[in-house]
Amino acid sequence: MMTTRSPPFIEAWGLAVHRGLASSWHLVHLGALLLVVALSPSTYPRSNRTTISGHIYSNTVGALPWFTAMTALISLVLIRVVVVTAQSYGLSQFALEMVVRVLVLELIPLSAAMFIALRSNLVFNDALNTRFSTRQPSSATGLKVITPTLTDLQCVWVPRVLASSFSVMALATVSSLMALVLAYLSVHGLSPWGLPGYTRTVGHVFDLAVTLGFGLKTLFFSLAVAIVPLAASLEVRDWVTTSTLQPGIVRLFLVLLCIEAASLSVKYI
Amino acid sequence: MPNPANHPPHPPSSLIEDDARPIAHIERKAALLLLTVASLVLAFLGYVMYARGVFESTQQLVLLSDDSEGIMVGMDLTFSGFPIGRVRRIELASDGKARMVIDVPRKDAHWLRTSSIFTMERGMVGDTRIRAFSGILTDPPLPENAERTVLRGDTNAEIPRIVASTRAVLENLENMTGSESSINASLKNLRSVTDKLNGRYGFLTVALGSEDKAQKMILMLDQINGLLLKTDQRIYGPNGVMDGTQASVAQLTGLLKDARASLLKIDGVLAEAQIVATNARMASTDLGALRAEVELSLRKVGQLVDEVNRKWPFARDVEIKLP
Repeated sequence: MMTTRSPPFIEAWGLAVHRGLASSWHLVHLGALLLVVALSPSTYPRSNRTTISGHIYSNTVGALPWFTAMTALISLVLIRVVVVTAQSYGLSQFALEMVVRVLVLELIPLSAAMFIALRSNLVFNDALNTRFSTRQPSSATGLKVITPTLTDLQCVWVPRVLASSFSVMALATVSSLMALVLAYLSVHGLSPWGLPGYTRTVGHVFDLAVTLGFGLKTLFFSLAVAIVPLAASLEVRDWVTTSTLQPGIVRLFLVLLCIEAASLSVKYI
Repeated sequence: MPNPANHPPHPPSSLIEDDARPIAHIERKAALLLLTVASLVLAFLGYVMYARGVFESTQQLVLLSDDSEGIMVGMDLTFSGFPIGRVRRIELASDGKARMVIDVPRKDAHWLRTSSIFTMERGMVGDTRIRAFSGILTDPPLPENAERTVLRGDTNAEIPRIVASTRAVLENLENMTGSESSINASLKNLRSVTDKLNGRYGFLTVALGSEDKAQKMILMLDQINGLLLKTDQRIYGPNGVMDGTQASVAQLTGLLKDARASLLKIDGVLAEAQIVATNARMASTDLGALRAEVELSLRKVGQLVDEVNRKWPFARDVEIKLP
């Protein structure tokens, strides 16, 4: 009896799609699991609170000065470029609005998310991946998934997720405020007489939809930065790969890109 | 939920010890950090709400327009370049007009008067702008919920008209500057005129059309000059016409004196004739009375003859018999 087999490249594509779907499901499942545990009061006993505080403090305070200084420098350059260019074209009335929209609403939250992702999570996840030995049997897709216990979730994963999320939000908040102050100083200097007009411009930019979108985008960025690398680190692949990238970094950038694209679509389309 | 029985072989505490070094007063520092970030977020939200005018007391103004294109919620209403209001809502009225509901802070509402004019301008670049103009600031203030029609000025709408006008102007210009155009012909004529002006006989050639005619004109002028010289000699020269005329005038004066004496004599004759005429008129009056007497005598004679005729044998049959 003859059996028909599909061509090898179709089988490879099918396997890749299958693995991608399984990996995505694992990401969603782990994210839901972490959120539920994070919102549960039993996660915050006295002993665990110290752990969470330690992670939050070390993650945020370690990154905040460097990131704020770097953002201030880049913001200053961008603000100067935009303001001078706008003035040369006689469009200075739009410069401040453009600066606020580009820097505060778009660049700084994305930069904060990527900074935290590159600084702490990917390094941590790579180290964590080698520590757990409990793995589920290999599935048909060749994807093995580490199943964390409740104690692991409460004592190891949730503190790190909370710390990463808070770091992203803190960095985005502080840097955004810094950029707003720098934008005012770049245009009006130390004179207080530009404050009413500047306040009106800020009010014009931050209407309800934009403010809500800004908050939600920062929140989703922080969750993506905290959860996606963790989920990737809990996947062990049986297949051979030549990629030298950290596990989950491509997926993290893809998720960040999707969030940014969705935000832009909602805001401007 | 994962099964708690499936604990990892490594306890969680070992993981934490590996990653985090002990920090003094860690919980207090973390709480301070949380509070700082939370207060920054709240301050930012408060600033944005203040910038959006949430805490301001406002009064409402409704602007009516045929078209609300370009108008967005949150857009400013400006007065002398300063924003004094903000569009809160745009709605379609029952008569098909666009109603723009604008919030004007009460501290800025005194700039708007009952005589204020509102315009909506659409420029080539940038947003549509709503402006208020108050010419007479002593007029009564604009009441709350006042409705005003906004005047529209749309640069983009003017572009097709400007382009059409410009095209017509360019076509006219092209016609005017063409090789066969009237201006070119006029310029050619002007050039020939200036050439003639610069020619031998100058303006005379231009006025008469050719140099031959101009030459004839000059000859004629020379002849007239000669004629005038001769005439002057004949009229004003010695034994000229003027001398004879002078002598004639003297003779004429003597003749006039004689004529005057003759007229005085005629006056005397006429006076005598008037006396004769008066006498004749009186004689005519006596002749009238005489005539009346003669007529009366004749009438009496006639009556006597008639009486004699009626007597016999002179009587005649005067009866008329019909045939």
